[in-house]
Amino acid sequence: MSDKVVSFERAQRRPDPARVQEFAETARRLQRERQESADVVTRALRETPREEWPRLATRPELRNSGALNRLETEVSARLEKEPQEALLLSDLAASIAETLPPDSYPAVVLAQLRALAWKDRAQALAYIGRYPEALEALDRAESRLSFGSLTHDRAIVRYVRALTLQKVNRFEDSRELLAECSQVFRDHGDDRRYLYCGIGEALLLDRTERYRDAYNTLIPLLDVARTSGDVESEARIQSNLAHAAVYLGELNAANVHLSEAIARFVDLGKRLEAIRTELAGGRLLLARGQLRLGIQRLYEARRSFLMHGMVEEAGLSGLEIVEALLQSGARDDAARLAEEILGELRHIAFNDRALSALAYLSDAAQASQASVETVRHVRGYIDSLRDDPTCEFVAL
Amino acid sequence: MVDTGSASDFDERQFEALYHEHFGFLVAVAIQKFRVPESDAETLAHEVFLSYLKDPAHVRDLNRWLLGAICHASRYYWRVNNRLSREAAVEIERIDPSTINILESLPNQIAAREALECLSPRYQEILRLRFFEGLSVPELAARLGVKKKYAAKLLTKCLRRAETLYERKGRRRLRRR
Repeated sequence: MSDKVVSFERAQRRPDPARVQEFAETARRLQRERQESADVVTRALRETPREEWPRLATRPELRNSGALNRLETEVSARLEKEPQEALLLSDLAASIAETLPPDSYPAVVLAQLRALAWKDRAQALAYIGRYPEALEALDRAESRLSFGSLTHDRAIVRYVRALTLQKVNRFEDSRELLAECSQVFRDHGDDRRYLYCGIGEALLLDRTERYRDAYNTLIPLLDVARTSGDVESEARIQSNLAHAAVYLGELNAANVHLSEAIARFVDLGKRLEAIRTELAGGRLLLARGQLRLGIQRLYEARRSFLMHGMVEEAGLSGLEIVEALLQSGARDDAARLAEEILGELRHIAFNDRALSALAYLSDAAQASQASVETVRHVRGYIDSLRDDPTCEFVAL
Repeated sequence: MVDTGSASDFDERQFEALYHEHFGFLVAVAIQKFRVPESDAETLAHEVFLSYLKDPAHVRDLNRWLLGAICHASRYYWRVNNRLSREAAVEIERIDPSTINILESLPNQIAAREALECLSPRYQEILRLRFFEGLSVPELAARLGVKKKYAAKLLTKCLRRAETLYERKGRRRLRRR
């Protein structure tokens, strides 16, 4: 029995002073670098043309943990809207992290810096659909994490791998990884990432059309999100619940979840996210043939866009309503709305070519000659102007 | 307790206090629960502290984070060193819900075990048979070659002695604080 017993004095043991000093010095240094680097990185990126960003890797003021932290934030902020820029920045971060001298930080810290830089690169690659390269970058990230104490970091990398594997239809591998990561995050009290894993699992079930399982996976997460005060995750869970409920044909439940998601985003002050959720909900309902409910949601989204002065977005979502109205046979309403949209967009001096196309649609609607195809044709043309602003409109 | 909300407000002394406050606990968990050798346990604990520094602002519950980190680090240690028997490996992989409150219960467990160590070998053996091997009082009597009534009396005596030692440990601990 005595070999299993650790004496009480051992629990009161004194740590090696050299190690305490290393810890305190590293803590102080990382803290200082974090504080100093935020502005430095932002300024460097602003003042340097995008194509020259790779050269920033040699700038001494960017070769530290604080700059790498800041770059991580910059990558995250760009993933959705500017994935190519996110990729460039993650390349820069990986390049800095990999060329830091081996003795610049304690080995554990250096391993974290390198692994997380590769993880960011993988995320950026996945966002632009370069999945095999993303998986390679994740291999690199994991290979840097050869310390037992880095299980939490390893789980962060593996969580990204799990989501990437879903994109290449490796659902079973993804499910196993999510279960593993979920446990690690739970053990570390990292409720936010624990919730991400749950949402990731629900997405997987959704992709494999197991909507009931997805719904049942998400429900218990709501309590965790509420208990930990994670309002953003709660909003995302509600939004995913709404999605699953629509596919299950439980429209009342879907409406409630959608409204809850929107309310939580509004609580957070993320009004744009709230409108996007409304819009996505409306589109989903339309796609499932629920014209009345879908139109109602799209009208709500359009009203919110107008309230926030986002006239262009209001116009484009309005076109989706026109299409749905025509589908449901409400020709007069469709004609009225098409005219209204044209007026609004003229008022903000919208692109002339787009206005011509909209005028064509409005005239056709007034003359009861517009069809669902007419609206789709006009919407397609307006979309194409983003890539080619000189493209001419051709009537159907 | 050291303020663990965010490292951005720490001064140097706080970092050191944080290390001192949790070091013994982390090493004790690695040694006791996972049977990691002492010097390796200290290295694991040190690495756990260093890995915490990467993103301290996002650690909401430091005690739980450190406990999770040392438990996983110890499991990883054995996976890499591959020196455990199959049964022991299964045991350390098992998620043990009792570890969630280990911070509160560990000092008591340690004190209790040390109290047991102070008992005479015969008393230790009696408690081991009753509480570790799960023998009933009649079985205990048969094993010791005594009457059932005397076995029950002996058991009460052992427990009382252990309790006295346990209380003394607790008092000594309080005096140290």
